[in-house]
Amino acid sequence: MTDFLLLLPVLIVGVGAILLMLLAAFDNVEKEVAAYGGMAVFLLGFIAQLAVVTAGDISIFANIFNSMMVANTFTQVAGLIITACGFFTCMSSHSYFRQNHFFQLEYYALTAFAACGMMLLTMAQELITAFVALEIMSLAIYVLVGMQRNNVRATEAVLKYLVLGAFAGGFYTMGSAMMYGGANSTHFGNIGEVIAAGGFFDQPLLVVGSLLILVALLFKVAAFPFHAWVVDVYDGAALPVTGFMATALKVAVFALFANFLTLDSGLQAGWVEYLFYIAIFTMFAGNLIAISQNTLKRMLAASGIVHSGYLLVALVAFTSRDFTGSVLLYYLAAYAVATLGMFCALSYLSGEGEKRQKFEDFKGLAKVRPYSAAAITVFLLSMAGLPPTVGFMGKLYIIINAIHAEQTMLAALAIVSSVVSMWYYLRLVITMYFYEAQDDFVTESSPFAPLCTFVLVVCVFAFSLLPLGV
Amino acid sequence: MFEHVLSVMIFLPLVAGVLLLLVPVSRNGVRVIGLALSVIVLICGLKVYVDFSGGGGLEFVEKITWIDTLGIHYHVGVDGISLFVLMAAAVLFPMVFMLFTAKSRAYYCTMLIALGAMVGAVVAADLILFYVFWEIMLLPIFFMIGLWGGEKRVAATIKITIYTISGSLLMLAALVYLAVSYHAQTGQWSFEIARMAVLDLHGGFALLAFFGMMAAFAIKIPLFPFHTWLPDAYSEAPTSTTFILSAIMAKIGVYGVIRLVVPVFEGELARYAVLFAYLGVIGLMYCGIAAIGQRDFKRMLAYSSASHMGIIALGVFCMNVQALTGTLYQIVAHATSTGVLFLFAGVLEERGNSRQIEDFGGVAYSAPIFATFFAVAMLASCGLPGTSGFIGEFLIILGAVKYNMLVGVLAATSLVIGVCYMLWMFQRVFFEKANDRTAAFKDLSAYETLVFLPVIVLILVMGIYPQPFIAKIEPAAQKHIIQMITTGEPALAKNAAAPPSHSTITP
Repeated sequence: MTDFLLLLPVLIVGVGAILLMLLAAFDNVEKEVAAYGGMAVFLLGFIAQLAVVTAGDISIFANIFNSMMVANTFTQVAGLIITACGFFTCMSSHSYFRQNHFFQLEYYALTAFAACGMMLLTMAQELITAFVALEIMSLAIYVLVGMQRNNVRATEAVLKYLVLGAFAGGFYTMGSAMMYGGANSTHFGNIGEVIAAGGFFDQPLLVVGSLLILVALLFKVAAFPFHAWVVDVYDGAALPVTGFMATALKVAVFALFANFLTLDSGLQAGWVEYLFYIAIFTMFAGNLIAISQNTLKRMLAASGIVHSGYLLVALVAFTSRDFTGSVLLYYLAAYAVATLGMFCALSYLSGEGEKRQKFEDFKGLAKVRPYSAAAITVFLLSMAGLPPTVGFMGKLYIIINAIHAEQTMLAALAIVSSVVSMWYYLRLVITMYFYEAQDDFVTESSPFAPLCTFVLVVCVFAFSLLPLGV
Repeated sequence: MFEHVLSVMIFLPLVAGVLLLLVPVSRNGVRVIGLALSVIVLICGLKVYVDFSGGGGLEFVEKITWIDTLGIHYHVGVDGISLFVLMAAAVLFPMVFMLFTAKSRAYYCTMLIALGAMVGAVVAADLILFYVFWEIMLLPIFFMIGLWGGEKRVAATIKITIYTISGSLLMLAALVYLAVSYHAQTGQWSFEIARMAVLDLHGGFALLAFFGMMAAFAIKIPLFPFHTWLPDAYSEAPTSTTFILSAIMAKIGVYGVIRLVVPVFEGELARYAVLFAYLGVIGLMYCGIAAIGQRDFKRMLAYSSASHMGIIALGVFCMNVQALTGTLYQIVAHATSTGVLFLFAGVLEERGNSRQIEDFGGVAYSAPIFATFFAVAMLASCGLPGTSGFIGEFLIILGAVKYNMLVGVLAATSLVIGVCYMLWMFQRVFFEKANDRTAAFKDLSAYETLVFLPVIVLILVMGIYPQPFIAKIEPAAQKHIIQMITTGEPALAKNAAAPPSHSTITP
């Protein structure tokens, strides 16, 4: 029965997705009703997950599904973040589709399917399960990205994402096959034992296999040198979808990344040296791209690359499973709150057909809509890592973790990178506050997105007071 | 209420500032509330000052666990070093609300947030808490200059922000390095500032951390050659913001060096203090000479402020009791004299509608009270005996001579430059021939005279009878220096057993 409880959040979201899909079969369903359905599914999932987390008594259910999955604090907190992301995405979508007219009823069902895949991904302890979860997530996301069929940029985005994503999937399966060839098992635990017994670099199949899997994972988190797709894809997708991709997807893939990388100390030690450079290049490549952007979505996409870099810093500077795991999740939560809030605010401020996209379109926003501008400022400050926001605490933990693991160089470079990133975050603040308004910023939106923005602003401050739960 | 007096002083203005931003209250309403709150902070500050026993340890301590696993606490307290910076902030803020009519109610709110954050940075006894307040301090300044500054405000805002944030982030790395070293050397996590004194630091990373931290403070002070943001920011900012920047924020930079760098990086400081002492002297001369050439009096005062910050910083790096006492004394003296000069410059600009020195002349004939007050503040800023500036500068130069003859001589002679530009400016603005602009110059009203009077009296009292103030400072300064000398070499071995000397008074 405990096992069933641990799986309950995934089940709720999965069954909810199917129900939402059935709902979409009816012609006369309003898009509002579908939105409420989506919110309800995610809220239920979140509550169930919260109940599981607070119940304490964590047991690893190794005995069901032939130990293909685990449910520990790490996966459960990741699940909490993912369901919360889904909930807030539904809220902002409700407002977004008042002003953008390409809605199809399957939208919320697909969001729920993607979330279901993400939650499975965090729990996966075995290569094939992880692949199934990865594809459940990816397929739903492909459709969401390309939902606006008659928009050229959305079509471009989905094509790029689909082709490259399929390649990454190919790499992943190829890697899994080699891992199986080398270790005679697809289970993380067994692979770890084989590596520990025979030494990592003496088993070429495992080396190549894990390299291919890492390529796929790095592609999914948009790390250097597989980061180029992210700017165009984010740019083409609808704002709430972009927010969902940027946050929930990253949580899920990083959870798998951490699980995979730390399955054995030999594997981790073998790749850390290279991931060290990848982390550095990811931070700085992201910064360089972000500085040159003129539209908000592209800037946020590029800043997402930089944040992936910080998360890689946490993975490279691995101290202990508990500590680094908490640091990773805390940072992911911090990043998710600010990024979701940003996209949520944009999804009602950008107006009819996302007509406000560029930095200069938001000139003088603070004069016309001071509360929205203040909310965006808070999110930007959190992303930039200034106290007293949650982003600062996240970055602080990353740096503590890095220096603690004697990766002082990496910590210093992370700090240099945050100095650089200050430029494009502050640029928006300056645009919003220090110029006269040229637009009336009238938007026709439902109260959900502003409400969601407000809740996330509160979260930015409230979470920063939460201690790191090691 | 007085049990948590420091928390009240931090959070009352901070929370009120944020709330007032959200609630639609009229501009004058906000001003009155702001004034009331800053007066409450002042009363709390006076209470702290009177009850302060001067034993050399932290008093009024509050300590609440925040992040247990990493030993981060909400931990505040006052000692002889922070007391005077705290008092400078508490005394000067109400004047802003009394004197200036801002363009927008949000200005008063940001002012309140700045007050809370500055008090927080001064009383914080935990590294992370200090850093949090240190950064919050910048946000109101960012908006004040950017929203309500002069013509070139956006460029000035970007300059000051990028400068200070880069410094702060370097400091963050240094802070974390300290805490991790503490964990490595003692086996437990702590971010308590006083405990860092036991650390035995050496090697490349310690040096980097030292320079990282020094960079943050050198930018904030600003120490030559990190002063280039200052003239733009000071002259583009609204007058009361310049006042806050020069009178309080710059002082918190010096305070940071005394609190965080001096006790922790004894080894590095022993080697490099002479470098920073020279930087202080160079800043004193360079900014002084630059001030002579200015035509805009606000810009001239900006350079003058930077020049005097050079000598204040010099006092820290001489590392003896006289110089340190002098620095702490001069922090208050400079805050009152130069700070008030900026306020007077604001009055000149508002009534004369210009910032050019050459547009003025003969102001003293039509505004005698204003001219007298200006002269007192100006002479204190030059360090004339009988004013507060003399005592501080005298002590610093005494310490500098003791530390290094050449530095002392250079510093003492460079003070002449200050007299040059100040008196010359005074002559051109207040004497010589009156013109259309200044003939009808309105003198200070009775209300304004009353607001300025206490500060002018304070300048004179501090100059004539400094003993009560020095008595409060000296024990802490002495303790600081002794601790630095004795823990210099075998730090860890000696202090590991006994509790660190800073926190003798704990709750």
